[in-house]
Amino acid sequence: MDRFLPLVVAVPLLGAALLVGAGRRMPRIVAESVGCLCAACTAGLALVLLARGTAVSWVGGWEPYHGHSVGIVLVGDRVGLGLAALTSLLVTAVLVYSWHYFDEPPRGHAGAYPALVLLFQAGMCGFAVTGDLFDAFVFFELMGVVGYALTGYRVEEARPVQGALAFGFVNSLGGYASLLGVGLLYARTGELGMAQVGRQLDAAPRRDALVVAAFVLVLTGFLVKAAAVPFHFWLPDAHAVAPTPVCMLLSGVMVELGVYGAARVHFTVFAGPGGVPAEDVRRLFLVLGVATALVGAAMCWQQRHVKRLLAFSTVSHTGLFLVGLAAGTAESVSGVCLYVLGHAGAKAALFASTGVLLDRHGSVDECELHGRGRDMRGVGVLFAVGAFALAGLPPFGTALGKALAEEHSPWLPVVFVLVSAVTGGAVLRVTAHVFLGAGQAPRTTQPETRGDEEPETEEPAWRLPRPMIAVAGLLLAGALAVGAVPALAEEVGAAARAFTDHAGYAAVVLDGRRGAAPPGPAAWWTPTGAGLGLLSAALATGLAALAVRRALPTGRWSAPLRRLHSGHVGDYVVWTAAGIGLLSALVLWPVG
Amino acid sequence: MSRRVRMGVLAAGLLATAALFVTAFLDMPHFGGAWHPYGDRAVQASVNRRTANTVSAVNFDQRGFDTLGEESILFASVLGTVVLLRQARDERTRAPRPGPVPAALRRYGLVALPATLLIGLYVIAHGQLSPGGGFQGGVVVATALHLLYIAVDYPALERIRPLGLYEVGDAVGEAAYVVLGVAGLLAGSAYLANVLPFGTFNTLSSGGTVPLLNAAVGLEVASAVVVLLARFLVQALEIEGGDGGKEQAA
Repeated sequence: MDRFLPLVVAVPLLGAALLVGAGRRMPRIVAESVGCLCAACTAGLALVLLARGTAVSWVGGWEPYHGHSVGIVLVGDRVGLGLAALTSLLVTAVLVYSWHYFDEPPRGHAGAYPALVLLFQAGMCGFAVTGDLFDAFVFFELMGVVGYALTGYRVEEARPVQGALAFGFVNSLGGYASLLGVGLLYARTGELGMAQVGRQLDAAPRRDALVVAAFVLVLTGFLVKAAAVPFHFWLPDAHAVAPTPVCMLLSGVMVELGVYGAARVHFTVFAGPGGVPAEDVRRLFLVLGVATALVGAAMCWQQRHVKRLLAFSTVSHTGLFLVGLAAGTAESVSGVCLYVLGHAGAKAALFASTGVLLDRHGSVDECELHGRGRDMRGVGVLFAVGAFALAGLPPFGTALGKALAEEHSPWLPVVFVLVSAVTGGAVLRVTAHVFLGAGQAPRTTQPETRGDEEPETEEPAWRLPRPMIAVAGLLLAGALAVGAVPALAEEVGAAARAFTDHAGYAAVVLDGRRGAAPPGPAAWWTPTGAGLGLLSAALATGLAALAVRRALPTGRWSAPLRRLHSGHVGDYVVWTAAGIGLLSALVLWPVG
Repeated sequence: MSRRVRMGVLAAGLLATAALFVTAFLDMPHFGGAWHPYGDRAVQASVNRRTANTVSAVNFDQRGFDTLGEESILFASVLGTVVLLRQARDERTRAPRPGPVPAALRRYGLVALPATLLIGLYVIAHGQLSPGGGFQGGVVVATALHLLYIAVDYPALERIRPLGLYEVGDAVGEAAYVVLGVAGLLAGSAYLANVLPFGTFNTLSSGGTVPLLNAAVGLEVASAVVVLLARFLVQALEIEGGDGGKEQAA
């Protein structure tokens, strides 16, 4: 069964080729059905493999000989396959959601949009299951190329093209950095597989500049994808202009794959005696994570363009994922995994609901939409529920994940509660303004975050589009299930224990050792965790209520921070270069 | 950010990156050493499978999955270009005007075209034997067709370039690689396993699946480059902008 693992990449690729080849003669409904079918089959395959445990597949049959191989290994451990399954399920949901979404497909290319989404799926699944550094770079680039095209999809306007360009420049730079890092590791070890490189480094531990440089460079690419400060500037610009279904994928799973890549490379390659000391890695993830979480939350609160607001909330939650990784224990990593699952459902549902608003009113501007959602109660409820999920209200998966990730240091819960409350509160504020018409219509003078957009759909829908609402509802139900099903949390716990086991990973890949997952304490709700979740949800409600009553000071304090987000691609490139220096400084920081 | 701040931050970032690099390079294995663990293994594996061109053996046999990803990147880029350069609602097309072509250029083009086409096909077909292969040969083939645009004019290029057919070729090349991989699974081995007879060393039919995968890539790359250039040519020669985004963005 293991040998079928490469099909999680091959099936969507084949579907995309079919859609492009036959797209000219294919009616739109057939093209969209083929897209959904391929995505769903891949999801099914990933789930079947996941149920069987860990799958290791040497592509081309190049099994290692004396511990060495010239081939590529795909490693579908529980975390990798889980992400492939999450990606595939989300892609299926997005294809159902965007059923007849765009007014007209490119002439003679009815299959172009579903084909691009399938290629995106192939890139993300490949990145999730590969156990080879160079192969990871290839799929990183595939994800990127498709992401740029999907972001710029609405070519009638200038801004999508600019957003896609910023996305393209910054991510390409990150990709080059990663490739240089992979090159350094290859020069030292003569290997490209993660497990092999890790073993070679451990065989002759030399903590020298080459290892540090490789670590910094490889991580730079993945942290650009993860939109960690100061690499995050592309993300809000891309999200503000990308079609809403594409935002569901970017925020729901692509950004998280960046975090996954950083964690995967850290644990498999650098976590041994020949790698980078744990305290240096911890410092890196902690500082970057806290900065990302705070910057994202502060910017999120300032936005009135709803998609931009949600984009900054993704930035701030990514920061929390990184903080969770910093502890590096199986428990905190299982918290991050649950958090990512819950966040994917909640954030994708919020984008899906925003798409309904855009569809109906041709705007995603909080001020312009003031009170105009009164007749869409269902969407309002979805928005509010999504906001509470972001804020970490138990029993959502986000809340359980946070609870497990934060209990490692006395001051971390403060960051988690604050960031959840601010991002959840911002969405609740939008809900109150748009769907309840609460408070006065806010002023309309801050030009920087205005949200007038052309509707992306065929014609303003007068009835609420059922599939779009259903998808949003299902996604929220999923986010709820993540925190409410003990069996899932147990599985995630086992997955995280295997994921954090540096030597165990190499043994599974290279020695074919398939023991049962090491036993460990079952991760589940604690009174403290649930209490902190309730606290952040209550704070979010309070913040939203104060904002609606205009009882909060205006955002003048954040002007310098907002000025940094200039929309100038040159600035973003400059920050990316500076970020490499920052990462090196954090890793090499002299201790006491 | 003001220009001065931007340059300052850039200088700091680049200096730090340069320092990181220089110190890392000092720890690299020295130039001209005898220690090439991967190279030794790759050459051995390539000879065992009777593939004379080791680079092709690495690309299409040992690390064929990377090549699938790389081919898909090109495939996705072309599809993305088709989508991004489509005719927007507010754009019109006009027939391109032919321009004068010097007679010498015309004669050169008519001689060079068949020769270039032949070289391209040769490079694809001999990928398993000599330097080159599907990626390189595909680009040469696509270039050959565009000599017609340089030597004659755009309508002449359009006549030998039915775009629909090349779009199908692009997709068939991509699909063929994926399906050849599945053939390995069906034969009871791994995905992309080299399950065909390896043949005689240094002949056209050697290397098992290497020539087939190589041909699939050649078809995909040649078609993809034709479609890619066609999109840019249409944008440059045929489409007149409306008041839409492209001009503002430019």
